[in-house]
Amino acid sequence: MSRFHFHIEENGSLIPDEEGHDFFDGNEARKEAIATGASIARDAFMTGSACRVVVDVHEDNAPYLKVSITLDVEEKG
Amino acid sequence: MSSDAIPAALIRRLRTTSAVTDEDIKAVDALPISVREYAAERTIVGDGQQATECCLIIKGFCARSKTTSEGRRQILSIHIPGEIPDLMSLHLHVMDHDLSTLTLCTLGFIHHDALRLLHRRQPNLADMFWRDTLIDAAMFREWIVNVGQRPAPARLAHVIVELRERLKVIGRIEGNRFEMPLTQEQIGEALGITAVHANRVIKQLRQEGIVAFHRGHVEVLDENKLMELAGFDDRYLHLSPAL
Repeated sequence: MSRFHFHIEENGSLIPDEEGHDFFDGNEARKEAIATGASIARDAFMTGSACRVVVDVHEDNAPYLKVSITLDVEEKG
Repeated sequence: MSSDAIPAALIRRLRTTSAVTDEDIKAVDALPISVREYAAERTIVGDGQQATECCLIIKGFCARSKTTSEGRRQILSIHIPGEIPDLMSLHLHVMDHDLSTLTLCTLGFIHHDALRLLHRRQPNLADMFWRDTLIDAAMFREWIVNVGQRPAPARLAHVIVELRERLKVIGRIEGNRFEMPLTQEQIGEALGITAVHANRVIKQLRQEGIVAFHRGHVEVLDENKLMELAGFDDRYLHLSPAL
């Protein structure tokens, strides 16, 4: 079991995760980061509050992985 | 706990939501109830089990949930004292979901035979319990809309307001504070989001001055903002006999 911190950025503004969350291993933390990024991005894109969501995961205090999701709409008409 | 306190919350709720008579109350009060303590996060009746009794919550909070084959749990409803969350087991013989405790609970078990006898003797009470399961279904409809259509902050706001309105019926509100003893993980499971996302939404509602969570309690900071965010219409709770 390790403690992971999931810092969330929406359009560059950071919400730090001071408390952190325990996960069995890095793979579980990776799944959590992707699912979290996807569901925050869904809300942000639908409500128009942000077009880029980043979940920056640290294991203890060391960077572990970063999930970035960007809305890219190309107007064709 | 004195024995007359066992169905107290149930009686209080029935008096508010249904047209009960004194005779009905006497019959509920006389039900044989066996009281047992359960630790937090324990299964009361599991998916696939056959129940022979129904469970009245006397103290604590419970939840109904279903878990997918991948192990992801969806909380379907939160239950509070005075409720009988597995009343349907009287007619549906094999459980199609789990009923479990969220917190340390005192539970009263009523044998199906005793409930059947009560329903035969007091058809008015049978109607009332039937109405109870219909209100359950109305709450599930609202939760489907919540999880399927609202953004996460509005989902949380809706669950908070619903819980408060139900706690109000049993007199469990202190000013702008009430109990909501769910962990971030459980809140995530109720809203269909991850624990990390739930943590972010809780922080957002605090930062926006809407509600604050303190160790199992919720404090409403701005009633108007909370109601606006939740888009809450209490009609589905059918809180009076006329509704």
